[in-house]
Amino acid sequence: MTGATAIVARPVVTGIGVLSACGHGLEPLALATAQGTPAFGAVSRFDVTGRRVQRAALLADAPPLAEAVLTAIGDARRQAAPATSAAADDSATPLLLALHSDLGTTGVTERIAEGARRQWGIPAVTRVYTGACVAAGTAVADAAALIASGRRTRVLVAAGHLVTAGVYAAFDAGRALARDGEVRPFSAGRSGTLLGDAAVAVVLEAESEAERRGTPVLAAISGWGRSGDAYHVCRPVPDGNGLARAIEAALERGGIAPDQVGYVNANATGSPLADQAEANALHRVFGGRTGRLPVSSTKGVHGHALEASALLELAVTIAALRSGTLPVNAGWTGQDEDCRLDLVLDRPRPTRPRYALTLNSAFGGANTALLVAA
Amino acid sequence: MPPTPTALLELARAHWPESADDGLPPLAGFTASTFSPLVAEAAERCLRARYGPAPGPGPTRTALLLTSGSGDRATAAAIDAAAASQRRVPPLLFFQSNPNAVLGHIAARWQLTGPVVATGTVVPAAPGEVPADALELAELLLADGDADQVLLIAAEQAEHQDHAVALLLTLR
Repeated sequence: MTGATAIVARPVVTGIGVLSACGHGLEPLALATAQGTPAFGAVSRFDVTGRRVQRAALLADAPPLAEAVLTAIGDARRQAAPATSAAADDSATPLLLALHSDLGTTGVTERIAEGARRQWGIPAVTRVYTGACVAAGTAVADAAALIASGRRTRVLVAAGHLVTAGVYAAFDAGRALARDGEVRPFSAGRSGTLLGDAAVAVVLEAESEAERRGTPVLAAISGWGRSGDAYHVCRPVPDGNGLARAIEAALERGGIAPDQVGYVNANATGSPLADQAEANALHRVFGGRTGRLPVSSTKGVHGHALEASALLELAVTIAALRSGTLPVNAGWTGQDEDCRLDLVLDRPRPTRPRYALTLNSAFGGANTALLVAA
Repeated sequence: MPPTPTALLELARAHWPESADDGLPPLAGFTASTFSPLVAEAAERCLRARYGPAPGPGPTRTALLLTSGSGDRATAAAIDAAAASQRRVPPLLFFQSNPNAVLGHIAARWQLTGPVVATGTVVPAAPGEVPADALELAELLLADGDADQVLLIAAEQAEHQDHAVALLLTLR
């Protein structure tokens, strides 16, 4: 079914840059998600008078979006080029962005392109992914495919979402935001999501290129899958078969069996329907082992970063694999019989799996799965 | 080496508009803007040219790839205006604001189970043409194996005349 690409190179991550409501850098994000410490607060960036819900996870003193994304790219490039390694030449490196599609997208893209060209000689923004909550997951899958097939040896992927009045108002009007001001993935009584800021960048390289430059590998992208539900404009297919196909494609590309996966960073947004569909997808793929497979959604900590969410959660997943500490599924208050999973609750779980999945789903029935190897 | 779009085989192609007085059918639930109806109509014409009436041959691993430089400007402007005025935002704008939503409509109607992808065009194409980057991405999706076909829709909401082209593609 999948994996038509003959894999001639192994895609690896050599640099990560992150700005989130948890702070600047991967470390504060990893700490907050490991402990399950929510970063939500009252929204003061714009007027939320009259909105049903008035909370989000916002960066303190957030810079403009283009500047935030450029900071993340700079941090990722710096990590991918330690002093002991050979310098990387980005004069032909693709730069894939994931951004929200609105009246500001073209301007933000131009400012990122200009900054990347001036600072690092990156020739252009290659493409902007605007496909909602799978935008960055699709970008990573495509970057991995470019590297695995031998078309490219290095690709930069960056994503940014800073909560704006318009998107906030649309989510509030659509009754998508959590009435009680907390994101409670997979929990009984969950009532919706909360939005979060994020600017994230990763450097993806062929493993041989990282070795040639003497750059440490943070993790490998061992597999990836993309699928569609073919079901509805915005509701997920209840039985989770679309997301299950994306997971199966990722496992097949990775050449591993389901029982080799040791952690799932779930998409779960706190939405009643979507979380249940995702639990069903996990049961479809992992069968009787589902009850022993550690799962957490970290959106209860950093919020839903929309187009940037998959890259933010990839960063969390890599941090979890490297630290041997699985993040807490924050916000959970009680068992939902339709979401029976081995959730990481109350405290971080010390375990060091070889493989983890990070999952994302979006409107239109879009699904992505990334298989990450320590 | 960049991908070679000549590896693509075009199975069907359709445009909107086809004539100066071409009409755009309304699309239930998408009322704030002509953008999603434009995407849906171009896709519908392309798939009908290949398969006849919906739902076509049953589930196919067809990816949906929407690319647009303009995006849905009318919906984005409606949301910004409502948010700025503190007026109540119409609830339907929630899903209309998202380019994936109309792709979900097309996928459900024609049982297309491949990847659902939306991109912003960085280097625009002439009206009626498809941006080169979108063809490269279609070829990558096919070569990578998550889809057997790609329905590629390039749609622009322009000041004087919206326009869209849809192609059904596979590998040679």
